[in-house]
Amino acid sequence: MNTVSVQNVSMRFGDFTAVNDVSFTVAKGEFVTLLGPSGCGKTTLLNMVSGFLQPSSGKIEIGGNDVTFVPPERRDTAMCFQSYALFPHLSVAENLQFGLKQKKMLPADRKRRLDDVAEKLDLVAQLDKLPNQLSGGQQQRVALGRALTMRPSVVLFDEPLSNLDAKLRESVRLEIRKIQADYNLAAIYVTHDQGEALAMSDRILIMRSGQIEQSGTPTDIYNFPKSSFVADFIGNANILDATIIKEESRNSWLVSTEIGEFLVKSDTAPVAKQLKICWRPENAQHGGAELNSIEARVTHRAFQGNYTDLFIEINGVAQRVQWREGRLEDLTNLSMHIRPEDFTFLEAIT
Amino acid sequence: MKQWLKIGLLLAPGLGLILIFIGSVVYIAIAQSFGYYNLSGESGFSLEHWSKMFDRLSYTRAIGYSLYIGVASAFLAVAFAYPLAIWLRRPFAGSLFISAVLKAPLLVHGLVAAFLYINIISYNGILNQLMQALGFWDGPRRLQNDNGAIGVLILQTWKNMPFALLLLAGAVQAIGDDLLDAAADLGAGPFDRFRRIIAPLAVSATQAALVIIFVGALADFSFQVIAGPVNKQSLSQLMVFFKGYGRWNDAAVIAVTLMGLGITGSGILALFSRFVMRGGRLS
Ligand SMILES: Nc1ncnc2c1ncn2[C@@H]1O[C@H](COP(=O)(O)OP(=O)(O)OP(=O)(O)O)[C@@H](O)[C@H]1O
Ligand SMILES: [Mg+2]
Repeated sequence: MNTVSVQNVSMRFGDFTAVNDVSFTVAKGEFVTLLGPSGCGKTTLLNMVSGFLQPSSGKIEIGGNDVTFVPPERRDTAMCFQSYALFPHLSVAENLQFGLKQKKMLPADRKRRLDDVAEKLDLVAQLDKLPNQLSGGQQQRVALGRALTMRPSVVLFDEPLSNLDAKLRESVRLEIRKIQADYNLAAIYVTHDQGEALAMSDRILIMRSGQIEQSGTPTDIYNFPKSSFVADFIGNANILDATIIKEESRNSWLVSTEIGEFLVKSDTAPVAKQLKICWRPENAQHGGAELNSIEARVTHRAFQGNYTDLFIEINGVAQRVQWREGRLEDLTNLSMHIRPEDFTFLEAIT
Repeated sequence: MKQWLKIGLLLAPGLGLILIFIGSVVYIAIAQSFGYYNLSGESGFSLEHWSKMFDRLSYTRAIGYSLYIGVASAFLAVAFAYPLAIWLRRPFAGSLFISAVLKAPLLVHGLVAAFLYINIISYNGILNQLMQALGFWDGPRRLQNDNGAIGVLILQTWKNMPFALLLLAGAVQAIGDDLLDAAADLGAGPFDRFRRIIAPLAVSATQAALVIIFVGALADFSFQVIAGPVNKQSLSQLMVFFKGYGRWNDAAVIAVTLMGLGITGSGILALFSRFVMRGGRLS
C-alpha cells in the first residue's frame, strides 16, 4: 500500500512552471530521495506534499485519502525545513515538543519522546538553549528532531544535512535511516548531494527543470543512466557523441566516436542511430587489449588518496579516468581499454 | 573619563532640553499639588489639596471613568488592528491601497473626526434618517453624548486603530512564512498559530500599542467634550474645570494623578499583555 501518491502534479508561478506533471509513489517504510540541481523544483514538490502549496493541477494522496485540498495542520506529514524554521522564542526542548503539545500528548509520553530524540541527535546538552544560541549544525539537528518526534506517516526532509561537517553528516545520516526504519515511516528526502542520495535511498528520483528525469534504485541509476544529464549528475561520466555502425551480435553494437571505434555491450538497444554514450572514469582498465583499446596523453593529474584523477586527451578530446596503479609521477602516455559492458547508451542526439 | 565627557556633550543639546522642559513641568505640577507656587494665596507645603480632592465624588468618578476609557480604547484598537495586520501580512493585489486607506485616520485631526461623527449621529443626522428610511426605527433617536461613552470609544478606536496597525503590522510582517508553515506542519491551526507563534513574537509591539494608546485615551479631552456623556467627566475635563477657576493647585493634583495613573497603568498593561501573549509566562 502506498503511503504517498503524487499524481500528475504541476505547479505554476505565473508563467513559470516550477513542477511539471510529476507522478510518483512512496510506500510505507520506503526512503525516496529527490535529487536535482538547485532550482529544479524539489522544495516546491515537498511543499505540495506537506500542504503549504496547492498544486496548480494534479492530485496528492496520503494513506489512500485525497489530501490535495487539506491544509498542512491536518495532514499526517512532518517536514524538516531547509531554512530550519525553528521558533526563536522557544527553547530547544519546547521546539522539539511543539507538535506533541499540539497533539495534546501526555507530559510523561512527551518527555519520553523528547529524551529519545535528544539522545539520538546529540542534543541533550542544548535542551534549555534558545535557537539563536546554537551552532548551525545544532539548529539543523533540532529541525530534524522536531519533525522526527512527530512520527508521522510521511516525513519530509529538505536538505537536512547541508550544514553538518562530514563526520557528523555520516552519523546523522545513519540516525535518520534508523529512526525512519524503526517507525516504518515513508520518507521523501531532498538533497543535491549525490553521495548522500546513493548511500541512503531505497529509490532515487532525479529531477530536472520541474520534471522527473529518471527514477530507480541507486545502483540502477548509477549503472544505467538514461541520459547524459543523469550520468553526469550522479558520479562522473565521460560522455561521447556516437554513431551506431552495426549490430555486431545479440546485445553488441559497433559504434564510432571522436576517440575511436568501440564495441558496446548493452541489454537495452540504442534509442537512435546517433546518440550519446558514456563510460565511468573508474572503469578504465590498465593496458591494451584486443577490444576497445585506447592510447591517451595525460594532461593533468590530481591525487585523491586512494586513487588519482587523470585528465587525458585522446585525439584532442578531453576525458578523465581514475587510476589506482602505483607510480604516476612521470606518466605522460597511458595505454588502457574499456570493457564493452562498461559503456552505456544514453539519449539520442537531436 | 574623556569618553564620558564626549558622550555627555553630544547628548546635552537634545537630552538637556528634554530634561529641562519636561523636568520643570513635572516638578512644578508636583510642587503645586503640594501647595507650592500657589498663584492665588499662600504658598507652602500642605496636603490639603490632595486630601480634599480625595473626598470629592467628582474626582474619584473621573478616575474610574478615565481608566475605563483608557483601557477600553487600548484593547479595542489593538483587537481591531490584529486581524488586519495578519490579513495584510503578505502583499496581495490591492493590499497597499487597503492599508493606506486604513491609515487615513492618522491624518485627520481628532477634533475634526469628532465633529464629523456627531454630525452623522445627530438627531436629524444621516444615521437616524437612514435607519428610519430602512424601517428599523420608528422615529429619530438620541445617539449623541450617550451615557455608556460608546461615542468616545468609537472615536478613540477609529483614531488609534491605524496607529496600532502600524506597530503590529511591522511586528507581524517580520515573522517569516516558514515559521508559520512549520507550526501548521506540526498541527497548529490558524488560532494556535496566532496563540503560539504570532502573539509571543509580537509582544513588544502589542505592549507599545496598548501603552501609548492607553496613556493618550486616559487623558482624553476633546472627544469627551464633543461626544462624551454629559453626566460624566474625564480627568482632563476636571483639570481644565479647576484651572478655569484659577485653582491651579487642585488642577495640579489632577495632573499628577494623570501622570501616576499613566505610569502605573502602563506598567500593569505591559505586564498583563506579556503574560497573556506568552501563554502565561513572564519570561
Ligand atoms: N513562490 C514562488 N514564486 C515564484 N517562483 C517560485 C516560487 N517558489 C519557487 N519558485 C521558483 O521555482 C523554482 C523551483 O524552486 P525550488 O525552491 O523548488 O527549487 P529547489 O529544487 O528546492 O532548489 P534548491 O536546491 O536551491 O533548494 C525556482 O526557479 C524558483 O525560483
Ligand atoms: Mg530547495
